[in-house]
Amino acid sequence: MTKPSGPTLPRLSRRRFLAAGASLGVGVIAAPYVASADEPTLRITGWGGKWGDIMKAEVGPAFEKEFKCKLQTDTALPFLPKLQASSRSAPIYDVLHTNSNEQWAAVEMGLVEPKIDAKLVPHLADVYPYALSDKIVGVSIFTSAIGLGMRTDKGYSGVSSWKELWDAKYNGVRGGYVIPVNSLGQAFLMMCGTLFGKGQTDLDAAYAALEKLKPIKLVDFTGAMEKMFLSGEVGLGVIHDSGIYRYDGQNQPIDFVTPSEGVLSLEQVLTITPGSKLKELANAYVNYMLSAPVQKKLAETVWYSPANKMVKLDDKYDAKLLTTPEKVSKLVQVDWKWYNAHKDDIDSRVNRIFRA
Amino acid sequence: MSLAPAIRMNGLAFFILPSALLFALFFFLPIGLMAVMSLLTGNPVVAPNVAFTTRHYARIADDPYYFEVIWTTIRIGLWTTLAALAIGYPLAHWMARIKSRAGHALLLMAVLAPMLTGIVVRTFAWMALLSDKGVINQTLQSLGLVSQPLKLMYNETGIVIGLVHIYVPFMVLTLTGVIGRIDERLEQAAENLGASPLRTFLEVTLPLSLPGILAGSLLVFALAISAYVTPILLGGFQIMTLPILIYQQISANFNIGFAAALGMVLLLVSFVLVVAYNHVLGRVSGQRDLQ
Repeated sequence: MTKPSGPTLPRLSRRRFLAAGASLGVGVIAAPYVASADEPTLRITGWGGKWGDIMKAEVGPAFEKEFKCKLQTDTALPFLPKLQASSRSAPIYDVLHTNSNEQWAAVEMGLVEPKIDAKLVPHLADVYPYALSDKIVGVSIFTSAIGLGMRTDKGYSGVSSWKELWDAKYNGVRGGYVIPVNSLGQAFLMMCGTLFGKGQTDLDAAYAALEKLKPIKLVDFTGAMEKMFLSGEVGLGVIHDSGIYRYDGQNQPIDFVTPSEGVLSLEQVLTITPGSKLKELANAYVNYMLSAPVQKKLAETVWYSPANKMVKLDDKYDAKLLTTPEKVSKLVQVDWKWYNAHKDDIDSRVNRIFRA
Repeated sequence: MSLAPAIRMNGLAFFILPSALLFALFFFLPIGLMAVMSLLTGNPVVAPNVAFTTRHYARIADDPYYFEVIWTTIRIGLWTTLAALAIGYPLAHWMARIKSRAGHALLLMAVLAPMLTGIVVRTFAWMALLSDKGVINQTLQSLGLVSQPLKLMYNETGIVIGLVHIYVPFMVLTLTGVIGRIDERLEQAAENLGASPLRTFLEVTLPLSLPGILAGSLLVFALAISAYVTPILLGGFQIMTLPILIYQQISANFNIGFAAALGMVLLLVSFVLVVAYNHVLGRVSGQRDLQ
C-alpha cells in the first residue's frame, strides 16, 4: 500500500505555533488602537453620576464628532495624586476638571497652567466675572451655591441664616462635611470666620465656632450628604444647591436655603496641563464646554449654574439657579491660595475638633 | 570541578519563582520606595531639587496627635481581635469537633457566607442597622425602650462591630485547622483522670490551640489596623486611624512624603507584632528556630 501523494502542509513546530499565537494576540489587543491611531485622544477628568451619564451619552460624543478625536475620561477620584505622579512632560491628563481648591494646589505644584488664553477660547468673553476672577485658576465653567439643606417635614421652617445651624434644636440632626477632604467643608470653615470673626481668614473664630457646632454628622462627599437628608439622619446641614435641586419633582421633603449672609461658590473649574501634547484640542474642549448649548444641556441635567451669561435656561431652572448678575453677586468666593497655604495647620486642628 | 550541579535548578524553584517575583515586585519594591519617599522632600522622578529629610518623622514625633491616632488604630485592632476570638473560638471548636459531615459543611457555609459579600456592602448594611435612624434605634424607640437614639455608630463601638463581622471568618478558619489537629484522646485521658470538662479545656485544649489563637489573632489584628472602608463609614469620619490619615495625606494634602512616613509607622507596628508573635509562638511550641 502506497502513501497517497499530494500537497504537504508545512510542519507546525512548537516555535511556529507560539509565534503565530503571540502575533494573533498582539493583533487582537492592538487592533482598536491601530484603527483609531489617526484620531487624537484627549484625556480629561470628570464626575460620575448624572454628569458622567450625560457626558458619555451626548456631550462627549458630540465633541468627538465635531473635532474628530476621542475623549478619555477619568472619573475615579482622587485626580491630583495621579497627575502629581505622572511626568510633567507627558501628563496623565490634558484637561483637569475639578473644584477650585484642588486647582489652586495643582497650579502651586506646576501641574496645570494658571490661566486660559482668551484668544484660543473665544467663549471666555461670555462668562460672568466670577468665572475668571483672581480667585480662579483656569476658568470656572459652572458653579453651585453652597448653603443649607433642610428637611421640610420636621417643622424647621423659617431658616434664613447660616447661624441657625448652631441652634441646639438641631443637635443630632446637624450635618456637615469632613473639612480636610472636601471643598464644601473647607469653604464652610471660611464662612465660619466671616460669621463669627473678622473675615474668612479669622481661623481662631472659625475653630471656636466649629467646636460649638458639635454634635454633627460628617460626610466626605455630597452624594453621602444627599442620602443623609433623604433618610432623615440629617435635618439641617451644609450642602450645595444641586444636591437638593436634583430631587426636584420626586416629592422628597427637602429644600435648599439661601442664607442671608450669602452662598459660597463651588466652582467647576477647567485647566490645561503644561505638558499636554494636544493644547489646541484642549483649548477647543474648554471652549466647547463653555458654549451655550452645552452649558444649557448640562445645567438642566445636573442643576449647576452656567458660567456663560448668554445661556437661557428653561423657567424651572432659571428660577432656582444663578442665572443673572444680581443672583451671581450673592456668591462668596474663597481665597483658596491662602487656604492651601494653611491647609496642614487647619487639618491638624479640625481633626482634633471633630474627633469623637 | 564541574559547575553543572551547582547551576542546576531544583524543580521546586520553578514553582517558587512566580511567588518570589510577585513578592519582589509588589511587596518589597513598593515598601522600599515608600521608605525612600518618607525620607525625601519630594518626588525625585517629577520634581527637581529633591533632598533627604527627616522632617516627616519629626512631624510625627513632635505632635502628640499622631500618637493618639496610632494608639486609636492599635486600640481598635485589639478590641476587634479580642471580640473576634471570643466569638470565633467556640464556633471553631464546634466545627473542629462536629462528627456530622453535613453539619460541618453547614457550619463552614455559615462562616464563609458573609465573605461572599463585599466589605463596602456589608458596612453599608451595618450603617442601616446602627445609625440614629437605623433599624435598631427605630425599633427601640417605637417600643418605647429609649427616648433618644443609642450611640451605636460614629464611634469606636460601631467600627469594632463592623470589623468583627468582617474578620470573624478569618479567626474561625485559622482556629478550626489547629483545633482539629489536637488529639482528642488527650482530652479523653484528662477526663478519665478526673478532670472536669472546664479544666480539660483550660489545661489541655486551650494550650494546644494556642498557635491557632496566635495566628488568627495576628491575622485579624493586622487586617483591623489596616482597614479603611469600615472605620471611615462606621466612624463617621470622627475616629481617625492611620489608614484614614494616610489616605487623607495623599488624596487631599498631596503630601506623599508624610503619607509614606505614616505608612512606615504602620508597617513598623505590624513588624513589631509579627516579631513578638514569632517569639511567643516559638516559646509555646518549643520551636526555637522561630524565635
